[in-house]
Amino acid sequence: MTYTLIYGLTIGAILYFISIGLSLTFGTMRVINFAHTLTYTIGVYALITLLAALRGYFTAAAFLAILVVVPISYVIERFVIRRLYGESLDYTFIATFAISLIGVDTIKWIWGVNPYPLSDPIGKYITFLDMSFPVYRVIIFSIAILLFLVLNIFFKRSIVGKIVVAALEDKDGVRCLGVNVDRYFSFVFILGSALAALGGVLYAPISSVHPYMGLSILLLSFAVIIVGGMGNLKGTFYSAFALGMVMAITARYWSQGAETMVFIVMAITLIFRPIDV
Amino acid sequence: MEANQLKKISTELTISESKNREWLTFLIIMGVFLILAPILSVHRITDFMIFCIFALSFDLLYGYMGRLSFGHLLYLGTGAYCAGLFLKYINPHPLLAILIGIASATVLAMILGFVIVRTTGACFALMNLAFNHIGFFLVLSPLRTITNGEDGFGISTVPESFLDFGSRPIMFAFTLFCLLFVFYLLRKLTSAPYGVLIRSIKEDENRVRFLGYNTFIYKWITFVIAAAIAGLAGTLTALNYNFVNPNVMDVHSNVGVVFACLIGGAGNLYGALAGGIIYMIISNFLPIYIQRWEMFLGISLLIITFRFRKGVWGYIQSQFAFLNKKKMLISPVPEEGSK
Repeated sequence: MTYTLIYGLTIGAILYFISIGLSLTFGTMRVINFAHTLTYTIGVYALITLLAALRGYFTAAAFLAILVVVPISYVIERFVIRRLYGESLDYTFIATFAISLIGVDTIKWIWGVNPYPLSDPIGKYITFLDMSFPVYRVIIFSIAILLFLVLNIFFKRSIVGKIVVAALEDKDGVRCLGVNVDRYFSFVFILGSALAALGGVLYAPISSVHPYMGLSILLLSFAVIIVGGMGNLKGTFYSAFALGMVMAITARYWSQGAETMVFIVMAITLIFRPIDV
Repeated sequence: MEANQLKKISTELTISESKNREWLTFLIIMGVFLILAPILSVHRITDFMIFCIFALSFDLLYGYMGRLSFGHLLYLGTGAYCAGLFLKYINPHPLLAILIGIASATVLAMILGFVIVRTTGACFALMNLAFNHIGFFLVLSPLRTITNGEDGFGISTVPESFLDFGSRPIMFAFTLFCLLFVFYLLRKLTSAPYGVLIRSIKEDENRVRFLGYNTFIYKWITFVIAAAIAGLAGTLTALNYNFVNPNVMDVHSNVGVVFACLIGGAGNLYGALAGGIIYMIISNFLPIYIQRWEMFLGISLLIITFRFRKGVWGYIQSQFAFLNKKKMLISPVPEEGSK
């Protein structure tokens, strides 16, 4: 049971990293970003290349991989997402899906379609009460908690964070105060993409790496933001861990049903509390 | 101002066209597929027509009612699987299987529709996606014993008097008949007051509700009709390949039909047909010449969303606007919204 708990917390942490950007993008710009996990995939592939170049320094490679994502996400925001403000949701869906098609194909072009093996960069286990768990999973979970606290402080204390939170509530109101909202949105988008890349970089060693890895996790993070409430930062945190636990517990008894259970939870949430967007 | 509006209404509705013109349209559609058939092989064209049926059903949902679904393949898959399983385990009569396939997709949509139709926009799309994922998973894993999981299963049919679905030309003719029938049905539906109503729901659902219509029922009916037609497309897919596997309802393939609808021009039945053919040609032949065809698909989707909203058919319409003007002279302006 403890293993299930650890597994659930890891998945929850990864889902949190990825969903936070999706939730922010939706909350501020009203754009459902299908291309969100593209940055996640790009981060992982950048990590693979950088690991080879840096001869295995995982932390440095991970950090650089996240930096690689920043300019790419800026280009996506500047040339596609920004044109979609105020458009009907259908077109934002389709345009961002188009970006993810282009991105996945580019990845296939550069790195090929074959899955890459990546191993746990620490590979140590800690023993606690006669049970041993991988240190790596514990680290992932700790980073998630740390990130949650940092983001909380960021959104409550810093002026940039306050503007973003205000824009989540009322975009036009903030604009009326003379704030150039678009610049902050662009920042939020890049932040979200970088966090998705962080999630990818941390998750890649304990999952499989292939060009389509983003799509399946994208569906899961959609479920997270729907259950947690779109644009609700705290809700995203709780629902990410709750759904992570749902996945872990389902996987314990019925391994193939894990992802489906998440969608069942999402469907039930939508039945009882539909979102009008 | 008013004259302009009337003109718009009459060109959009195309209600009272003379019977001759209707037959001409059918002949042109038939002609296009009959000409394409020897060029691209009969089997492939049958596949094209099935996809066109599917695109038409999606267009009813997206183009006419304005509800983008990212899981419409669920109903195609349900049709294909139920028809296939019926043929395999119960009775090898194809016509009965087609009815079973349509009925199963309809019943599924009736049940799921109660939940899904209440939502709009992104929520609607994601709900469909979620259910499609569940359906895909069901045939892949828990129902493995009867659906044979990833490998799928083969089916065989017995000829029913002259309808031998094993022979390619008969399959072709039957699919063409189905396509024309679906086209006819949807044209009647969309040009009837019902069609005006669902288009009004697309524009502004609240106002329709204020007029006293129960929009939920209309949305539900549209959803069920679209699913039933998708189920028909599914059974035809199963019969055409004599084989069913989970790819028929792969969640990620949904983008194909969205693309087809957009490139042809959403909200127009001719557009859906044109888009279906164009998409099938692209996806069948482009990979042979260009390895990066997904990138091509993505770039053209971007161009469509930013510059080319009306699609191919909208472009043709705007180029040949004089045709519509002529129609305007013939047809009296219909009474809108009359029940």
